[in-house]
Amino acid sequence: MAYEFTEEDLQEIEKIKAKYPEVKAATLPVLWVAQNRFGHVEPDVQKLVADTLGLPQAHVHGVASFYTQYYKEKKGEHVLDVCTCLSCQLCGGYDILEHLENKLGIKAGETTEDGKFSIQEVECLGACGYAPMLQVTNDQYVNNLTPEKVDDLIETLKAGKEPEYDQIGMPLRKVK
Amino acid sequence: MPEVFIDGKRYEYEGDHQLLQFILDQGLEVPFFCYHPSMSIPANCRQCMVKVGQPVKDRESGEYELDENGDRVIRWFPKLQTSCNIKVADGMVVHTQETDELVERAQKDTLEFILANHPLDCPICDQAGECPLQIQTYKYGPEGSRFEVKKVHKPKRVQLGPRVILDAERCINCTRCVRFTDEISETHQLTIVSRGDKNYPTTAPGTEFDDNYSLNTVDICPVGALTSADFRFKARVWEMNQTPSIDITNGKGTNIDLWTRDNLVLRITPRFNEDVNDHWMPDEGREAYRVFNENRVSKPAQNLDGEQVKSSWNNALLTLAEKIEEHDGKEVLFVGSPHASVEENYVLMSVANLLGAKNPVFTPHIEEGYGDGFLLTDDQAPNTNGCRALGLDELSAADLKKEITGAKMVVLLNDQLVDRNVVSAKDIETPFTTVFATNHSETSKVADLVIPITTAAEHAASYVNVDNRAQRTVAAKETKYTNRRLDIEMSEGRLDRYGTSFDNWVTEDNKVDCMPFWNFTSQLADRLGLDLSYDTGRDVMNEISEKVPAFKGVSYSEMDANSGIVLEETSDKTVKS
Repeated sequence: MAYEFTEEDLQEIEKIKAKYPEVKAATLPVLWVAQNRFGHVEPDVQKLVADTLGLPQAHVHGVASFYTQYYKEKKGEHVLDVCTCLSCQLCGGYDILEHLENKLGIKAGETTEDGKFSIQEVECLGACGYAPMLQVTNDQYVNNLTPEKVDDLIETLKAGKEPEYDQIGMPLRKVK
Repeated sequence: MPEVFIDGKRYEYEGDHQLLQFILDQGLEVPFFCYHPSMSIPANCRQCMVKVGQPVKDRESGEYELDENGDRVIRWFPKLQTSCNIKVADGMVVHTQETDELVERAQKDTLEFILANHPLDCPICDQAGECPLQIQTYKYGPEGSRFEVKKVHKPKRVQLGPRVILDAERCINCTRCVRFTDEISETHQLTIVSRGDKNYPTTAPGTEFDDNYSLNTVDICPVGALTSADFRFKARVWEMNQTPSIDITNGKGTNIDLWTRDNLVLRITPRFNEDVNDHWMPDEGREAYRVFNENRVSKPAQNLDGEQVKSSWNNALLTLAEKIEEHDGKEVLFVGSPHASVEENYVLMSVANLLGAKNPVFTPHIEEGYGDGFLLTDDQAPNTNGCRALGLDELSAADLKKEITGAKMVVLLNDQLVDRNVVSAKDIETPFTTVFATNHSETSKVADLVIPITTAAEHAASYVNVDNRAQRTVAAKETKYTNRRLDIEMSEGRLDRYGTSFDNWVTEDNKVDCMPFWNFTSQLADRLGLDLSYDTGRDVMNEISEKVPAFKGVSYSEMDANSGIVLEETSDKTVKS
């Protein structure tokens, strides 16, 4: 399949390029433009980015493969990054992952048949205080997960709504 | 003059120097992997750590502050520094692993990390024996590994391109190959993918590493991650001889090393020459090893009733002498060759002159648009300028064809004129054609007499490149009539030195039954009663430097000492043409 940027995208890319003294620096933001447009940066998309910026294809590939937030293959509409690193693990991260897997009928790393959801098992996302947690498509964090909360989240996403932001205050530290 | 103290010894310097290169230039050693003198310095292998300090100066007087012993007070850098990317500065004090335990420890620990995921497959690795990682691990590495977990597995035997194979597990991510394609060949075909302990160099998906210079990455790879698809598993490096030579596949005169074992050239690698090819050579030149090994003319052959029959040397000599005597000197056309050395062309010219024949002619072998401004040239022959400097008559291909068809007898020095479409097979069938050839070709096939001569790998001879630089080769492989134990210039590898002809790794088959052109010609001259006799290429060159103005001052020892000599443009040439 041949990928192409829309006129709007191209304008945005021009704006991004204008920000930097060299085109090479625009690689990361333009990859984001591409991922936002196509939902992933498959090799063909990487090639499109390289050709648009006039950069070597190998360079763009190297950059895209370095960052896990760029999806190098097609993913579902919502990508659920479930943290199973230490703190989440201790607070039941694996239970949440298992619950999610059973609910969606897929394993971590897979995508549902309807293309709605992908699950990924990820390392620490820096929200240990609210473990266990997951992140929705490189964006919103959903914290202090319970199986019920996961079910709600899936329903919300299925309904095409965005999950609500959790307002989490910092725990008060007792000062002697 | 600015000074720097390395391991307690004072060195003076001028100009700008990177510390690591400066240390290496003094003949000292600091281990390193990613640094390469011809490329940018990323300092990512972290192996060349040294301890560096600057003397403290009094701000007002500008004098060095001294301690109670009268020594300069040194302010050390808070951490060890990578010597590759630090500039030498006046008064700098450097401690390497030789004098500082912390440096020694740092280098050892860095190596332990580098080796954490490096497979222990040296016994089956092509790089073993010439592997910086192996050598430096022996010298500076830890005695064992403390890593007890499984090593990370990565792709193996990846065919990156037609000529290069990747073993990602062996890679230490020095990025030399990536920098090579970015900075030297500028094809930008390689990149490091993924990250952490999973990263390795590769091409973009769906593309292949078909750079014209791709095999240089194999040379500069400090481990066995990139290996040559062709040379892979053919020989261990310590079994081979290394002989300096010159690339004969184009006009650049790239300096090379021929690696031989049992008189077969097994691989060709570039040899550093700042003025010609730096550290690099095109992939094409490496293929030339086949020219030295395969399809060689061995033993003379004579055309009898339309069939080429192997003949004795004596018969070949007598036949050629007879034919020359049959013809008037003017009827014999001597054709020189840009593919043959200066010495060979000169000897041909001498014979022609002594016989009263026309001055030898030649036609350049140019393919327009083939060159790339780097190491590939339009000129497909190594010695076009050599022929010009000697004063051979340069003809266009069409004119040469006319000359040949008009001649009664043609003596053709190693040039495959039929193969490169200068003349047709029919054209050289009519006159009596003697071809001095190294390899079988369409040209030698139709000749009346074929006399095998030595290639650049079998004799010492000079070639003048497109920039008028005269450089020479050294005999790397024996013929039936040479012996490396008797020729002090030929290198002797372990197998040559300790082997005997009864060993099963030594065979006579790889020695070609051929002779240097000047040796055969000397015999011929003797037969014809001409005053001409040469023993070696060195003799010929000595005479050339006396007699041909363009080659004044050129000798083998001068060429060796200066890695080639640029010939002065002489007015003589303009008169001739």
